[in-house]
Amino acid sequence: MTDPLLLVAYVLVLPGFLFLFAYSMVFEFLDRRIVARMQNRVGPPFFQPFADLVKTLGKEVIDPQGVDRPVFDAVPLVGLAAVTTAFLYVPVIGASPLAFQGDLVLVLYLLTLPTLALFLLGWLSRNIYAAIGGIRAVTMLFIYEVPFFLALMMPALMAGTWSVSGIMAWQQEHLWFALLQPIAFVIALIGLQAKLERTPFDIPEAETELVAGPWTELTGRRLALMHLANQSAAVVGSALIAAVFLGGPSLPWTIAPPVFGAAAGFLLFLAKTLAVLLVLATVRGATARFRLDQMNVIGWKYITTAALAQAAIVLVMNAWWGGP
Amino acid sequence: MTRVVVPIGPQHPALKEPLNFRVIADGERIVELELNLSYSHRGIEKAAEQRDFIRALPLIERVCGICSHSHSTVFSMGIEEIMGVEVPPRAQYIRTVIAELERMHSHMLWLGVAAHEVGFNTLFMWTWRDREAVLDTLEELSGNRIHYNMNEIGGVRVDLSPPQVDAALARIPVLEERMRAYVAMLEDEETMLARFRGVGTLSREDALRYGAVGPTGRGSGVDYDVRRDDPYLVYDEIPWNVVTDTDGDVYGRTKVRIGEIKESLGIVRYCLEHLPDGPIRVAAPKAAPPGEIYSRYEAPRGEVAHFIRTNGTDRVERVDIRTPTLANWTSVVYSLVGRPLADIPVIVAAIDPCLSCTSRITVLNRGEDARGETSPYTGQAGWFP
Amino acid sequence: MTVLSEMLRNLVSRPATTLYPAEKVPVPAGFRGRVECDDERCIGCSKCSLVCPASAITMVDSPREVEFRGKTMMRKKKPRVAVYRCIRCGLCERHCPADAIHLRSVLSITGTDREEVLA
Repeated sequence: MTDPLLLVAYVLVLPGFLFLFAYSMVFEFLDRRIVARMQNRVGPPFFQPFADLVKTLGKEVIDPQGVDRPVFDAVPLVGLAAVTTAFLYVPVIGASPLAFQGDLVLVLYLLTLPTLALFLLGWLSRNIYAAIGGIRAVTMLFIYEVPFFLALMMPALMAGTWSVSGIMAWQQEHLWFALLQPIAFVIALIGLQAKLERTPFDIPEAETELVAGPWTELTGRRLALMHLANQSAAVVGSALIAAVFLGGPSLPWTIAPPVFGAAAGFLLFLAKTLAVLLVLATVRGATARFRLDQMNVIGWKYITTAALAQAAIVLVMNAWWGGP
Repeated sequence: MTRVVVPIGPQHPALKEPLNFRVIADGERIVELELNLSYSHRGIEKAAEQRDFIRALPLIERVCGICSHSHSTVFSMGIEEIMGVEVPPRAQYIRTVIAELERMHSHMLWLGVAAHEVGFNTLFMWTWRDREAVLDTLEELSGNRIHYNMNEIGGVRVDLSPPQVDAALARIPVLEERMRAYVAMLEDEETMLARFRGVGTLSREDALRYGAVGPTGRGSGVDYDVRRDDPYLVYDEIPWNVVTDTDGDVYGRTKVRIGEIKESLGIVRYCLEHLPDGPIRVAAPKAAPPGEIYSRYEAPRGEVAHFIRTNGTDRVERVDIRTPTLANWTSVVYSLVGRPLADIPVIVAAIDPCLSCTSRITVLNRGEDARGETSPYTGQAGWFP
Repeated sequence: MTVLSEMLRNLVSRPATTLYPAEKVPVPAGFRGRVECDDERCIGCSKCSLVCPASAITMVDSPREVEFRGKTMMRKKKPRVAVYRCIRCGLCERHCPADAIHLRSVLSITGTDREEVLA
């Protein structure tokens, strides 16, 4: 894919920004619908996330008293930009054309930005609930980020490449990392759930304690963009886990015309991200919210220990089979 | 460490009714707490003095939206005792059936609210779905979901027909099955247990010292239930047990409430199967002789008491309503200090607060009426009801 | 596990939600709804008006001959109910000597008739 026009189309349209936004809305719809059905409710109609987006985009933007307006406006954009950039390096229809050694690290750090954006928003809001929510978001970041990064770097360690697309290619020749490194897979799912601030890790925006946490003072397009960033992060995170642990959109055999191959890869991408979503939605439905101190204990005592154990196992396996 | 003042309420998503906590938090830990009550004084006691007994009953029933039957029963029991009116057994049984159905729907509502407060919305949806069965029964029996208006001085307003009794009995096995499922869920849902266990702990001594009543007290091992210790209606004739627990935390209160729903199902079934024949009311005199009475009743939230004074007319001279929530507030403030901020909703919810029912006074000009102390952190005067 | 199994069971079974405008909940026989007065039977005794806790019933002039307990009598007044003041307690129905005033199983919590709502 060296044709610059094709590359622009890739970045902007199909597996790029437009697709990401559209898919993130489908993702949100399915998430809400699945949880609703599990709770024996009907749930929202298909167009609800899109309607919400359009509605909030058109709503009045209210500035809390004394807020730093330019920064307050810019932060949601930064969050959204980080997530959309991360999506470019995640394989959607086969390996990403922009892949390079180290894009895994870049994606991980870009995915951290929305959380920091939330903290900034909370801090800038000049609202006690938002400030506490922002502090909780950052405290939680310190707890889940270490095991999450460790878990996602284990496949890189075994595959001997720092590129998401490279890890995907390695799995095509060997086994899925979900089977090779089940502990890392589970930790990555938990970390993603925490990163997306969904139950049981919705501590920063705990509705019954902090109204909406850092989101409290967000209105109009700020709310719309931040929400879109969060939903897009769900897609990017699921796609990342699908690529790193579930073999991503690559097929073990080649299909004759490349168009069909790409289509099959795309379908595989949809299937795998939706499978990840199903797991995330089930966890969201089946749990109560942790307290920050409980999260601290669970995160550092158990999850980080498990991640380190997985690292040790991977190193031993590498030595055994004469890894890279 | 910096201390922040977190105002919780009067408008806050954790509170379904107006109430104000001025929480002084050290990071996430609560160091001081001020409780401001009585945001929705409605003047029901005064209004009740203006009406005759017949018209006062629907008003008294509207003290609370959930324990409506409790208030109207405790009021009419008091008036009947002053008048010396003997309520026929069939009416007593019907009153008991409605009272226990009300306890069931109140506790199921509570279970959902408590689950929602800790972010477990799935259980919230399920309990409220199953609560519909109880509300449907109440609607079929009384004609309304919440304000049943079953009582009148001397008996009940409407009779239960055999098809109604059969329909109500048919729903009981379904609900019993659901309660078994909830007990199982409560025991193996680790995230919920983590939020319920060891939270809001109240020892038996503290429960007694702060006068906790109802499931809050029984969850701390206080073996006290007005239904058994000062029997009214038909509670001394039918088989049932007082549910207590020694955990003393939110989990203990949850177990007590689920146990009480099971007991209530048994009571309703017994009463409906053993419904005596006979009249449903006796003609009561219009006026009551002068007298005073302290009428007690075990509402879903605890002991509700009405002090009634009559003066020989068809109106009360004074009715003083003491709701269970008022008795439980002090224990909440006590068990909140030292806890993380995140525990406020669940500890407050654990007593099943009914705030507007508790509003008996209103204070104008709060600043001047303060108790004279100012908070060292906020610099503002606190006001304690 | 109980939670998970029930969640998965719900996922494939029908939701419990009543989709309101399309399907309606059946109203039980004894439902206390809109108060209506049977003009043929009302003897204009004012008992309903006196007993109404919300003072929603006022008596208006309506002279007419009615049958009551086998006798024909002249009545002077009949009740007019401010439906949106009514708390649907059922006391009027309970105290009516002529069985004329009834709570029908029609909902009456909202309305668009300005005169009736403000009454």
